[in-house]
Amino acid sequence: MVHAVDGVTLDIHEGETLGLVGETGSGKSVTAKSLLRLVPTPPGVYAGGEVSFRPRNSGEAVDLLRIPDQQLRGIRGNRIAMIFQDPAKALNPALSVKQQLAEVFAEHRSSELFRDAKIVAGPPGTRPLLRRAAHRHSTFFERRLLDLPPFRAMEKRLERELDERIASALSATRIPNPAKVMNSYPHELSGGMKQRVMIAQALACDPDLLIADEPTTALDVTIQARILDLIQDLQEQHHAAVLYISHDLSLVKRISDRVSVMYAGKLVETATTQQLFDDPLHPYTRALLAAVPTAEQARGELAAIEGTVPELVDPEPSCRFHSRCPHAGPICAAREPQLLTRKQQHRAACFLYDDPQDLGCPVDLMPQSQVSETQ
Amino acid sequence: MQVREYIARRLLTLPILMLGVSILVFGLSRVGGSPIGIYIEHEMTPAEVAKIEERYGLDESLPQQYIAWLGGVVRGDLGWSGVSAAPVSSIILPKLMATMELAMLAALIAVVLGVSMGTFGGARKNKLGDHLTRVVAISGASIPIFWFGLLLLIVFYLGFGWAPLGRADPSIYARIGHPTGLYTVDSLLNLDFGAFTDALWHLALPAITMGYGSTAIIARMMRSSLVEELGEDYVDAARAKGLPERLVIRRHARRNALMPTMTVIGLSWGFLLQGTVVVELIFNWPGLGRWMTDAVLQGDQATIMSYVLITSIIFLAVNLVVDVAYAYLDRRVVLGD
Repeated sequence: MVHAVDGVTLDIHEGETLGLVGETGSGKSVTAKSLLRLVPTPPGVYAGGEVSFRPRNSGEAVDLLRIPDQQLRGIRGNRIAMIFQDPAKALNPALSVKQQLAEVFAEHRSSELFRDAKIVAGPPGTRPLLRRAAHRHSTFFERRLLDLPPFRAMEKRLERELDERIASALSATRIPNPAKVMNSYPHELSGGMKQRVMIAQALACDPDLLIADEPTTALDVTIQARILDLIQDLQEQHHAAVLYISHDLSLVKRISDRVSVMYAGKLVETATTQQLFDDPLHPYTRALLAAVPTAEQARGELAAIEGTVPELVDPEPSCRFHSRCPHAGPICAAREPQLLTRKQQHRAACFLYDDPQDLGCPVDLMPQSQVSETQ
Repeated sequence: MQVREYIARRLLTLPILMLGVSILVFGLSRVGGSPIGIYIEHEMTPAEVAKIEERYGLDESLPQQYIAWLGGVVRGDLGWSGVSAAPVSSIILPKLMATMELAMLAALIAVVLGVSMGTFGGARKNKLGDHLTRVVAISGASIPIFWFGLLLLIVFYLGFGWAPLGRADPSIYARIGHPTGLYTVDSLLNLDFGAFTDALWHLALPAITMGYGSTAIIARMMRSSLVEELGEDYVDAARAKGLPERLVIRRHARRNALMPTMTVIGLSWGFLLQGTVVVELIFNWPGLGRWMTDAVLQGDQATIMSYVLITSIIFLAVNLVVDVAYAYLDRRVVLGD
């Protein structure tokens, strides 16, 4: 059994952006998906833990891993929305932009649509019929019925109400000519436009939490910056919390309030953005920051972390970075470090900051903070 | 607009394809032996044979013969059927309709059952439901059609005596008019539901026999492409929107999984037409297939050519419909040309 994500603890507050950094395969995406229970089971297993979510307007916190499917569906796309890495894959190629955005409104805002369309009384059964139409759950025969005179005008009003909402959701992402984009198919749009459509879809219901899983990785560099600005602006408008997942440290530095670093399915460090970039504690974070090329660096010299990410099949209790860590001592291979608060708002999982006496471990087995330069 | 343009373009290619088919049919008939074989006897002198050849225009060059034949086909003259001792055009229509009725019902069974079985199995990958549909599908693809037909015949005709043979009860058949030649449609047009039940009852066994193999192929295709589509990001995105699983499958995954399945559906029409020959023999169905068997055994070329030409054109038409359906399912197809 692969332990793709193991004991990750994240907390995100209203209006805050938490950056989640890690290299490919470190479990960032699985973490994000499991927040919404999107990891398919089987083959996936939610072995334990909880995802506690408290919506802004109701005080009740719920555990997303344990609530019934129906309740979870009411939260997905409504209170928690997700933006995917590659917009070309995350939009259904067979459906128009309008059809795909309409689903969000139909699923979570159908009663508002129904109310705003001002459906007046008609023949008996009109209201349930149109409620179902607003919910996009009409059967084949109901759709035929909706084409007939008394209902047709009402359905048109419903449709117009929906169109307005879709257009305003699209224009919020600064898409030029939303009416035209609405009726396009994904293949007719550029990558940046597709990601804007995804963002419009995610923010359609004004969610409390936005999970952005590498939203700019598949885009051109010039468009990356614009999408990033867009997410930031919209976040300020909506006061949403954002979980921003990326392997790009410079992006995360720019957008996040706090940053968590993942390595091989484990969280190794969490701190405010400033602390993390100015004073990283975990050796992995330090190595990662050292690997970011700077303008001052001579050509051809790139710092790299020696070795590879360990296998995650039935891992032994140990620090997963120990085989690549310049500080590692014997204890690192034998026991698992805890993610503890080392400074104010700064947590790291490393034995370097533990007291050997607390661990009951001889000093010579502890990791060494001074490393002799051996290169 | 774009889709309409695409359909118009596809329609324009149809005559060209049909012309190609006609050349092929004509060419193959000349490879297959003398077209007057059925009229020649051993006692005839070469002069007598030459006289017959002259009578049918066989002394002229091949292109001239082709044009003469094509001209006849266009005017509705398909030649003289030796096995039926009548002009092909006068007897082909009721037989064609009999076969079409059977093939269309078989196709309907195959598409509806195949797509739903494939969706059912694909959505429950490696669970009990998936294994059950797989057993049904694999047996359907591997059981020979003649054996399956005989089996149904033995059980339901000889054993229980539930199913009738042939196409219709003669007394019921006589009491209604036949504007289309499709008995189920005719009986409905006559508002005679007794006749409709009778027609359907006669159709059931042969249609099931014919449709089973295609059901299996369509179900397998549908299952595997649905499983593939369910792994795509847009399915996760649809779930993340809060859609119920039923709609995730129906609106998102199934729609895209239908694309490759459509191709198989179009191609399986060829299997269906091929199956008519055996099925019509087994169930005593008065269609093209049995007529064709007789014609092949006796070397009746006008009949064979008409049969091949008509079934090829039907095949082309079905695949045109598939192409159009493609364009509606996925707009990217329209861009391809």
